[in-house]
Amino acid sequence: MKKLFKLSFWEIFAASITALFAIPILLILLSLFSGFNDNFAHIYDVVLYEYSLNSFYLVIGVSILVIFIGVITAWLVTNYDFIGKKIFVWALILPLAIPPYILAYVFTEIFDYSGTANNLLRSLNLVSEDYALPNIRTLTGAIIVFSFTLYPYVYLITRVALMSILKPMLDSARVLGLSKLQTFFKVTLPIIRPAILAGTALVAMETLSDFGAVQHFALPTFTTGIFRTWLGMYDLTTAMQLASILLFVICIVLYFERYQRSKQRYSAAGVKSEKLISTKLKGIYSYLAALFCFLPIFFGFVVPVIELITWATAIDNTFNNDFISSSFNTLFLAFLAALITSGIALILNFNARIHAKRSSEEMNNFISMGYAVPGLILAIGITQLLTYIDYILFNTGLIITGSLIGLIFAYVIKSYALSNNVIQSNYKQVSTDIDDSARTLGSNKRKLLFDIHLPLLKTGLLTSFLLVVSEVVKELPATLILRPFNFDTLAVNVYLLASEERMYEAAFPALFIILIGLIPIYFLSKMIDHSRTIDE
Amino acid sequence: MVISGCAPVNEVNIYTSRHYDADDILYAEFTKKTGIKVNIISGSGGALMERLKSEGSNSPGDVFFTVDAGNLANFQKGGYLQSIKSQTIKNLVPKELRGENDEWVAVAKRARVIFYNPESVSEEEIKNISYEDLANSNWKNRVVIRSSSNMYNQSLVASLIANLGEANTEIWAKDFVSNFARTPQGNDRSQLMAVANGLADIAIANTYYIGIMLSGKGGEEQKVAASKLKIAFPNQENRGAHVNISGGGILKHSPNRDNAEKFLEFLLSEEAQKHIVNNTFEYPVLEYIDPHPLIAEFGTFKMDKTSVSDFGKYNPSAVKLMDRAGWK
Repeated sequence: MKKLFKLSFWEIFAASITALFAIPILLILLSLFSGFNDNFAHIYDVVLYEYSLNSFYLVIGVSILVIFIGVITAWLVTNYDFIGKKIFVWALILPLAIPPYILAYVFTEIFDYSGTANNLLRSLNLVSEDYALPNIRTLTGAIIVFSFTLYPYVYLITRVALMSILKPMLDSARVLGLSKLQTFFKVTLPIIRPAILAGTALVAMETLSDFGAVQHFALPTFTTGIFRTWLGMYDLTTAMQLASILLFVICIVLYFERYQRSKQRYSAAGVKSEKLISTKLKGIYSYLAALFCFLPIFFGFVVPVIELITWATAIDNTFNNDFISSSFNTLFLAFLAALITSGIALILNFNARIHAKRSSEEMNNFISMGYAVPGLILAIGITQLLTYIDYILFNTGLIITGSLIGLIFAYVIKSYALSNNVIQSNYKQVSTDIDDSARTLGSNKRKLLFDIHLPLLKTGLLTSFLLVVSEVVKELPATLILRPFNFDTLAVNVYLLASEERMYEAAFPALFIILIGLIPIYFLSKMIDHSRTIDE
Repeated sequence: MVISGCAPVNEVNIYTSRHYDADDILYAEFTKKTGIKVNIISGSGGALMERLKSEGSNSPGDVFFTVDAGNLANFQKGGYLQSIKSQTIKNLVPKELRGENDEWVAVAKRARVIFYNPESVSEEEIKNISYEDLANSNWKNRVVIRSSSNMYNQSLVASLIANLGEANTEIWAKDFVSNFARTPQGNDRSQLMAVANGLADIAIANTYYIGIMLSGKGGEEQKVAASKLKIAFPNQENRGAHVNISGGGILKHSPNRDNAEKFLEFLLSEEAQKHIVNNTFEYPVLEYIDPHPLIAEFGTFKMDKTSVSDFGKYNPSAVKLMDRAGWK
């Protein structure tokens, strides 16, 4: 089969997508060359230090807490049997269904002076009438909120890593005379450490990118600073310059995460392993383990959901026209973005696979970095991009900015990594022997992809679709900025209502978001159990 | 999407940063009266401005409807507004409530006043109080106000700069901030709740919130809380209490200019003014219309006649000043 051009269609497509994805970021970085004005000088002198310090403490605090919660729970459920363990295994990821800003809104309401928590304490006569729990809208409060909603990343990744430790590994160590402690340090830790660090880096990036939660807590960080400069000082250029600084920091964390992930060494997928024996915990220890696992789920999921249900049912007219149209809009956007993202991921992975050139993989890796870019920043960059396209291509007055293209574009950039990871790992399980056989039997590339690979990748594609849907439903800042006329999503509704301190009205849409957020959790929990069930 | 060359729909596209549900009724009324379809895009002032900037001359926006003169002034400065020609509007609204070249017009007023709990604040302390007094040490740990990132506060500080000068305002601000009972958080309603709950003794907030809370629209708890509070109108012995506006303007590249002007005229009609008064509890611009009884019972007061367009002029300085004063 002859190639007519030097580059095949697939490579050109991949290269174009890569270039396109890079443009919004480039436009933002371009602001660094526009000169720094008075506003930037003001920010530099007066508040930049505070933004940096807060962001720094936030990330450090959250990282420590998520490692503490995530690793210990993963350790407990993987190596021990105790009361409720079978439930905890999957329940521990539930908090992922709740985006940080919703948890922030709920906790604020609960821990308010006249909120549920204080009322409860007062009614139980545990405290005096005047007493109130410490204010939650602080740096400490923010650390707690982010930790409860993001620890599942660390839990998940650590658990998967722990499960890759095969019994023979530990047996060998024992046979070679290593004590339990030594085994831990020489065998277990090197395997799980990169996973823990990668998971934590992911959490750090999510934390740095958040806008809704930190704004609600009135915590001056980079994201709120960027927003404030843009709105309060009407200075987009300076805001983009600040955004560039944040991007730089995120880049460092991103490379750290990638480095750690590359250090992960798993045993080959599908290898039958001897069942790892879980030690049975007895008595008080069993209860303690259960309690430790229960608490994060309780605060990160059970409490917020119960409260939201209480608020939603306390008022009438929740299921109104606004809600219906917002839901429709939300799902429409999510489905469309999911289809496009999964499609692109499929093609790019296919391209990387058949042209096992370094460059194809690099491209894929490069655009995967999109998830690290805060939605707020993406939105600004994309707005600029669309305006340029407007002028170049359609001088007739066609307004693209009013349409959904920009928004979908933002979603695709943001969710690409998720989709890519899923499809990529699914692809890895498809042996390249199949490709070779197909080629020798005369199949061209298109046939290879559509007739042979596609059916084998069904799981990956479906999972990718659902994961992107859930990502998009939760997204806030980009949607706020890029949405067109008369077009609100559920997340936007929740944000606007919460900003007006109308949490009761925000409860129902918030619950819907969480409900959709549960879908991927179902799949993730299956993923957790999969290796185990080979032998059971 | 708006594609030129298609059959024109009789519509008006409103970019609004007001977030009151009651506005939807206003829009519906306008459509019923005139047959003009109303399209809304809502967002914060800054977000809308960015959108306009990107859209450029292709922008479909007709009207900019917002709260706070600072927002209007910024749009004016950015060149996004065009002069209103309607003589009706010019006749109805006094000069100080319009842009210098009629780029925008006020449709409602609100005052930023002091709310206090009479049980923890003596008549002595509150009598003839001024904003400037709030920097005094007797208010230490007794004051709550929302974040400096909020436009209403920025306009308040801007008006202080206009009247007292920047240097004096900065001194005031530093002392004022040191009197805060807590780090600024929540919106105006949250400040009122804080005073009702005893977390602070005075709050600075907009007049209409007490209307909303007393009406029961925010729930029973808010109604009870609001009934504990009284209003003190600052600066009655000199320039008057700080007044801000809700207002609108016609966007520069408006494709439906006539409809835009009709909409603004509608907002100044007796019917719309009454609606605004009764639903968002603001003060009307039309003098002969009474404010809502819940608001009226707090009495009449002297309103600061500082030109509302100064708020925009001094806004950037105000923001930086508040940063320097540590007003979060």
